[in-house]
Amino acid sequence: MADVLLEATGLDKVYGEGDTSTHALRGVSFTLNEGEFASIVGQSGSGKSTLLNLLGLLDTPTAGTVVYHGQDVGKLGKPALAKLRNSLVGFVFQFHHLLPEFSVLENVLMPALIGGRPPMESRKLAEETLGLLGLTGLEDKGADQLSGGQKQRVAIARALMNRPALLLADEPTGNLDTVNTEQVYKLFRQVGAETGTAFLIVTHDRAVAQQTDRILEVRDGELVQDVRNSYLPPAQ
Amino acid sequence: MLSLKIAWRFLQKSRVQSAFIIAGIAVGIAVQIFVGSLITSLQDSLVQQTIGSTSQVTITALSEGDSFKVDERVLAVVRNDARVKSGAVAPTLSVNGLYSNGNESTPLTLKGGDLKSLDALSSISGRLTAGTARLNRGDILVGKDFADKYALSPGTKIQLTFPGNKERTLTISGVFDLGSSQVNARQAFVSAEVPRALLGWRSDEYAALETQLVAPFDSAAVATDWRARLKDLRIVEWQEQNKDLLTALQSQGSSSYMIQAFVLIAVALGIASTLAISAVQKTRQIGILKAMGMNDAAAGRIFLWQATILGVGGTLSGLALGFFLLFGFSFAGASFSITPKPGFVAFSAGIGIVVALLSSIIPIRKTSALDPIEVIQGG
Ligand SMILES: Nc1ncnc2c1ncn2[C@@H]1O[C@H](COP(=O)(O)OP(=O)(O)OP(=O)(O)O)[C@@H](O)[C@H]1O
Ligand SMILES: [Mg+2]
Repeated sequence: MADVLLEATGLDKVYGEGDTSTHALRGVSFTLNEGEFASIVGQSGSGKSTLLNLLGLLDTPTAGTVVYHGQDVGKLGKPALAKLRNSLVGFVFQFHHLLPEFSVLENVLMPALIGGRPPMESRKLAEETLGLLGLTGLEDKGADQLSGGQKQRVAIARALMNRPALLLADEPTGNLDTVNTEQVYKLFRQVGAETGTAFLIVTHDRAVAQQTDRILEVRDGELVQDVRNSYLPPAQ
Repeated sequence: MLSLKIAWRFLQKSRVQSAFIIAGIAVGIAVQIFVGSLITSLQDSLVQQTIGSTSQVTITALSEGDSFKVDERVLAVVRNDARVKSGAVAPTLSVNGLYSNGNESTPLTLKGGDLKSLDALSSISGRLTAGTARLNRGDILVGKDFADKYALSPGTKIQLTFPGNKERTLTISGVFDLGSSQVNARQAFVSAEVPRALLGWRSDEYAALETQLVAPFDSAAVATDWRARLKDLRIVEWQEQNKDLLTALQSQGSSSYMIQAFVLIAVALGIASTLAISAVQKTRQIGILKAMGMNDAAAGRIFLWQATILGVGGTLSGLALGFFLLFGFSFAGASFSITPKPGFVAFSAGIGIVVALLSSIIPIRKTSALDPIEVIQGG
């Protein structure tokens, strides 16, 4: 049995106050182990992104706790949360969110630089990560000079740069065609196997979810299903 | 250092915007240095013209025109005062005469004294345009304007008429230019014996003891001290006698401060608005950086660095431009030269940088307060 990475207990999120408030999450609880490869599915507006943002320490729950490696992150201050965001989790968003002022290599290096990691080692690791995602040769290109698929792969490389324990992806292939989508999930699998990173991928695409080991379904802010899925990679 | 790198890259990415704001700061600082130095130099030059070659604190007898004894008591007060410029103490006598060439006449004030002490006050020897610096009994040094008017040159004998119809013939030994045409037209220097004989005074009697100070603006304080110690004499100082000039200088000074202040305010508003715009333009990037774990302080430092780079770059360019303007001015043919004071230049540069840093406060606050979730949710 793998070690517990993350424990979410009774997560509630209410946006706004009074008449106009939205109850986006209601009592969501689950546990994620190290190296797990899971997906979150649900209809639009069901609360998937809200849940991901809470787990990614970008937002704070109205009630409930998020515990990483036994540490209740609700008890941490802003600087400590920032530090944890840098070292523990990696983000891939629907939109790539690259920094257009910087080159591909610099974008990938950024989390390491923010975390104050040694530059020389980080550079090697960044090049290695770019290689892992088939981006070798694009290091010095500007981030705004890439195709959509390339940008998303750079964003994934960046999310993996600090070798996070958990990679959170919110509709990472929402802007990509089927061929690219296929490729990204293959990469997730491969990277997960090589780095031991756990994945939590939000998607509204059932077919994509079927390729993960565990499917969490959210409906109207509640976790209504949590099933193990035996995924068999297609024969090569 | 990451903040500096990002700041630099942000500025590079919007080159034109950065160049404009650096040019704006540069013009502001250059104007500040140019106007400031121009006004101080102009004022120094005016003050210098007014008192540079005359007495700044003068001791005379209580009633005008009387003589008084310049003895050890008086000299001790003056010579033991450290505020008096060393050697710039001259006992003098004056007598008014009239020069006439037949159809035109000009009044001349003959100041008598020994050349060495007159030189200490007016440096006549160093300002001769013709002849030699010599003041023997029959010699007279006349001003350039006077000499030009009557076409007189060294060696010429001139006859002067004095009160009581006394006449004297003196030989022009040299022609001086003390920088003021009024002085050059009306003032002449002779040896002390000339007025003394005309006035019938004894050899230790003088009309005035003229002095110059190390710091001319000490004159009021010096005069007050001397009045207390020389109650039987009259002490006159230049600031009292030039109140109008000083008031004019003062209002000129304050209008110059106003100009400088408004220029700096304009510069501050320029930097502040540029940085504020930049902060808005880079909101997405800041949000992404924060989502990746950059803390609020480091994110704020990006704009502090931007302000520093713009402030230092603009100020250095401003110094260069300012000195270039001053250099250009030296060919403009003004009657005085501008010498920028190092202290003032350093002060202006300091102000430029401080103003830049202050104008980064708002963007820094905004950046620090930005919640990455706003950017991430906005897509
Ligand atoms: N900042 C916000 N302020 C107010 N309401 C919000 C905010 N963000 C989300 N909501 C609301 O919370 C609910 C859940 O939103 P969420 O973005 O988590 O849905 P989602 O499952 O990610 O949907 P989608 O598949 O369309 O991305 C929605 O009803 C949404 O309108
Ligand atoms: Mg969503």
